[in-house]
Amino acid sequence: MAKTWISMYLPPDINPAQASIAYGSRALPKLNEELQSDDLRTRQKALMALCDLMHDPEHVYVAIDIGCLASLRTLLRDTNHVVRIKTTEVLSIMATHNVGRDGFLKHNIILALSHLLNDPQPACRQNLHLAFKHLSQVPSGAKGIVHSGLIPSLVRKLHREEESIQATLLDTLAACLQEDATEALSSRVVPFLKEKLLSPNDTIRCKAARTLIAVSIPLEGKKQIWRYDVIPLLVHLLQDQVEEVKANAAGALMYATVTTEGKYAALDAEAIQPLLGLLLSSLQKARLNAIKALTMLAEAPEGRRMLKANVHNFRALERDPSEAVQRAARVAIKVIEWKP
Amino acid sequence: MPGATMPGAASGTMSTTYTYTSRPRAPPCRLRYSMSQPPDEPLPFGNIMYDRRVVRGNTYALQRGHAIDEHAQKLQETKKRVAAKRRAQEQLRPHTPEPVEGRKHVDVQTELYLEEIADRIIEADMECQTDAFLDKPPTPLFIPAKTGQDVATQIEEGELFDFDLEVKPMLEVLVGKTIEQALLEVMEEEELADLRATQHEYEELRNVELAEVQRLEEQERRHREEKERRKQQQWEVMQKHQETAQKIAARAFSQRYLSDLLPSVFGSLKDGGYFFDPVERDIELGFLPWLMNEVDKTIEHSMVGRTVLDMLIREVVERRLATYERKEDKHPFLSPEEVPGIPGPLRDPTMGYGFQEQRPLPSADVPYDKLMEEEEEEEDPIGLRRSLGRGEQLQDRESWEG
Repeated sequence: MAKTWISMYLPPDINPAQASIAYGSRALPKLNEELQSDDLRTRQKALMALCDLMHDPEHVYVAIDIGCLASLRTLLRDTNHVVRIKTTEVLSIMATHNVGRDGFLKHNIILALSHLLNDPQPACRQNLHLAFKHLSQVPSGAKGIVHSGLIPSLVRKLHREEESIQATLLDTLAACLQEDATEALSSRVVPFLKEKLLSPNDTIRCKAARTLIAVSIPLEGKKQIWRYDVIPLLVHLLQDQVEEVKANAAGALMYATVTTEGKYAALDAEAIQPLLGLLLSSLQKARLNAIKALTMLAEAPEGRRMLKANVHNFRALERDPSEAVQRAARVAIKVIEWKP
Repeated sequence: MPGATMPGAASGTMSTTYTYTSRPRAPPCRLRYSMSQPPDEPLPFGNIMYDRRVVRGNTYALQRGHAIDEHAQKLQETKKRVAAKRRAQEQLRPHTPEPVEGRKHVDVQTELYLEEIADRIIEADMECQTDAFLDKPPTPLFIPAKTGQDVATQIEEGELFDFDLEVKPMLEVLVGKTIEQALLEVMEEEELADLRATQHEYEELRNVELAEVQRLEEQERRHREEKERRKQQQWEVMQKHQETAQKIAARAFSQRYLSDLLPSVFGSLKDGGYFFDPVERDIELGFLPWLMNEVDKTIEHSMVGRTVLDMLIREVVERRLATYERKEDKHPFLSPEEVPGIPGPLRDPTMGYGFQEQRPLPSADVPYDKLMEEEEEEEDPIGLRRSLGRGEQLQDRESWEG
């Protein structure tokens, strides 16, 4: 049984690493003040508390309203690495919410974050790239990243970072390049992606192929893909173990074969057979991309000749459960059987 | 070294009582050579037996030796100075003048009650004695004064709390908060994963549609280009056709045009006289002009002759006329037949040869005839009736002619 004496000491801190969160609406203003304090421990404890609070979108909104982002921005340049790691973590959590993303764009956090690209702490960089990735999921965020001119530095980072960070980076790049790929294309993203396609890591290959899809949408991207001989590599990837990689490779091929040179390069690399194999894949994305790629190839006379024998596959696909696949199969049949 | 209150030291203000306490400590030794105290190093202990400052010998006959420390020295010096000053001032102070010769100054008491001044001090003996030692009574119990209020508590039955019961809600809150946070995070992750999945699906569809659009665009472009190329080719073919047709037409036309070039050339040259028979030419150029010249000359000769003849005849006729006129003046009778006859033959030869020089003469004759007739008519209205008849009129005419 506990003793009856009322202890002279304060009750023990349940979590000494976290600042105590004030009640109700005073929580965030108080944390904001603690963030700006001069004492290191206060700042660290306030950051830990903020991390927990930021999972709730209401709190994110209130935090941005009272101007937490300005104090967080100052803390990004702090000399203590724990502070920086925690700040980037808070920012990445805030970026998962739409309010947070809007706040980022308004308060120009992207630029402040970009100073940390060369941070010595890997955890810090990881969080930073997570924040960018979440930011780029939304078109305005992706536009913001593109406008701030970060794409060339991100592309260069692709080379030097560790694998886990590379995966996040590739995701960010894929989303940003769907917005505007011109800057990336001028900073040699295609050779880098080509290397990544050969990486032993599955996720990296998968994401690299997805980024290549985004790259090959504009015409300049298609030209570069053909020039750097990525098409044979993509055809080789069509026989990869992982379904996702195959699907993404088919997608990249689908875009790259829109140009005539791409078509003939793919035909030279004998892309038709693997693509036909992909038509029976379990992943809907793979089937769709394969049908589209074969449609592109059927525009060329040689491709049409080869595919005429395989029209029955497409007819089978017309009865596929997904509507998009049915439509694509019908278009493919139309193209194959077209007479000039 | 600090000791009791110094005579010269300032003892502070009158309001606070001055107290001084110090812990007992061993006196530091003073080296003979260093007069000042070294502040940094710990002061080494000195042997009290050999300390100069400890007074030795009789204490009842205190001899003030030479003061070692400078404070006393300074005090002594100041005292000396003060004394010297006082002495100096004494000398300067005006004293009572010296007694006059034969007199002596004597001190006299001037107070009301006189006092006997004697050298001997009045002494009285006093003595004092302490009591014999008594037992110290026991110290009274020190009970401090009571302050504050008296409070009493009493824990009744059942007021003490049961930890297990009490801790439950607190634990619930703690655990609840943690789990809530965790749930929130997990839900967030799930939501994000869900969003990502829908995003991926949408992205696939979008990619497919975009690829379709691009393919159609490409197809359109190719068809258009093909069409353009074919049109271009067709146009070129047509151009060539046209050109060839024009060439052929031009060729045919020029052939036809030039077909009778040769004969026409020859014809025109021949017409131009470029082809000539030299003998004929020679005859034409040489012989015939000469022949014509000669013919001309011959004709001219005859003409000249005739002209000369004409002139001669004229001269003769004129002379004759003149002669006849002279004669008429004398004889105004003349045959009218001869007179018109003369201009008649005069006229005929002139008309016959077509000489231009003769023409003005007949033309001059004609107006003269007319003039004559006019004059005749003029004369008639004037009223000059000549009864000469025609013959006379003829005469007049003749006279004018002559």
